[in-house]
Amino acid sequence: MNSENNIWTLAEGYLNKSLNAQELDKLDQKITADKEFAQEFQEAIDMLFSLKKNASQKQFKQNLIGIQKKVAQEEKDAPRKISLRLHYLRTAAIAAGVALIASFGTNLWNNRTQANTSKYSELRKVRTEIEGIKQSQNRIIKVLDNKANKPPIDNKYSGTGFALSNDGYIVTNYHVTEGADSLYIQTRDGNYYKAFTVSFDANTDIAILKVESKKFKFSKQGSLPYTFAALKSGLGERIFTLGYPQDEIVYSEGYISSRNGYLGDSMQYRLELPAEPGQSGAPVLDANGVVIGIVTGKETKSVGTTYAVSSNTMLKMLKNLPQSSNIALPKSSKLSKMSRSQQIEKLQDFTCVVNVYK
Amino acid sequence: MQLSLLKEHQLLEGIANNDRKITEQVYRDNYKQVQAWVQGRGGSADDGDDVFQEAMTILFQKAQNEEFRLSCKIGTYLVAIAKYIWYKKLQLQNRRPDFLPFDSGEEDANDIRAYEDDVKVHEEREVYFEQLNAAMEELGEPCKGLLKAFYNENKSMQEIAGLFGYTNPDNAKTQKYKCLARLKKLFYAAQVNK
Repeated sequence: MNSENNIWTLAEGYLNKSLNAQELDKLDQKITADKEFAQEFQEAIDMLFSLKKNASQKQFKQNLIGIQKKVAQEEKDAPRKISLRLHYLRTAAIAAGVALIASFGTNLWNNRTQANTSKYSELRKVRTEIEGIKQSQNRIIKVLDNKANKPPIDNKYSGTGFALSNDGYIVTNYHVTEGADSLYIQTRDGNYYKAFTVSFDANTDIAILKVESKKFKFSKQGSLPYTFAALKSGLGERIFTLGYPQDEIVYSEGYISSRNGYLGDSMQYRLELPAEPGQSGAPVLDANGVVIGIVTGKETKSVGTTYAVSSNTMLKMLKNLPQSSNIALPKSSKLSKMSRSQQIEKLQDFTCVVNVYK
Repeated sequence: MQLSLLKEHQLLEGIANNDRKITEQVYRDNYKQVQAWVQGRGGSADDGDDVFQEAMTILFQKAQNEEFRLSCKIGTYLVAIAKYIWYKKLQLQNRRPDFLPFDSGEEDANDIRAYEDDVKVHEEREVYFEQLNAAMEELGEPCKGLLKAFYNENKSMQEIAGLFGYTNPDNAKTQKYKCLARLKKLFYAAQVNK
């Protein structure tokens, strides 16, 4: 036992650099002479070294957790201060004024899309339109009253999204959410809810979002009223859509003009359907209230030509989500026997604005 | 001294020495960027925090080596490491089997790949530490408590003698060496059986 203790004393001394020259010499000699001792000594050094490293890394990680809690608490506290609320209001008023001037000057949305392509434009909306500014201000005030969910005021883009489940899974276009710092959806009642991206596919232009709050429900009545078509619908089928090109929800209708989309893309439909910026991500439904696609873009040179990603493309993507997301789509549509205005009334609860902040 | 005036190598040194203030400074300077990036790619804010903290831990370990020099800014390093970790997580979850940074179209794909080894070394070290912790658990009391008091809580042998009821520090020291010997046996047995 003595020789054992001796090894640890030596190893500790060696690591602490507290051995004197004579002791070091002796240690050196023993290591060269005694292979077994050398091995034991090496292991002891490793052991002590690992213990120290492990302890310091644990300390570091604990520090990180402490810092994270501190930072999170600060973020939580910040918006509660009264002065900051006033500040938000003031910024909102200024933002509204700036918006007015900007829309007289240049149309940002047009500039942006023309740079991309002259034929095809995405229907993401840059928020500089004059209409709805008054309403925006009303909503801003409403949001400020709602302490729990407060998005920053100056969102850059907006699109439309619609529910995949009553508890807050949403589908929209990937190009709407691309590069977003944060996402807030705004439901029919004007409330904002923070959302995050669960999955996306730039190729098909689909993004799946989820509202962060676990308590969130689109409707008190439970499940989705619509189903999703698993097969592509036929040419000439009558279709309609609901979206948010402005603060108010807008209805438009049309028909499937080609079973393939832009440049023959088989994952899309070509539709004769008026659509405006802000309608990206809106649901396209057939007469029975079955979702057949998602509005994604339009042809810039012709007025009514719009493109939509087909619902079966989206269903394929849902299959690849992790099981934990647990989206159960309804098997039957509650909308099939309803009049159009009843269908729209139901649908509105499950359609939302997707606000994008960068 | 104003923390914001510290140079990068001073920040690194502070991190290596477990300086809480400097660690906090580096944390604040960089976590938002990582969080926003992860949130834009299917993660939650918590995922962002986790990934960022793992990246910070890797930087901490790398900085232990006095010869360690960064060829880029600390922030750039942390972001690249975090991106690699997140892509790897996504890949493990099979969400995007083809989604490694190399073909993600990410601008800094090459930077991310350059740090692949750092992440791998870190993962191996984590496994090693887990084995060490497991051996420690197996030790049982009083050894576990005694070694933790000395190595994790930085208590002196005098204090430990008082805490664990030894008549003097030398007795406590003898007990500590016995504990170390047992720990070593358990730990190396685990290494062999791995």
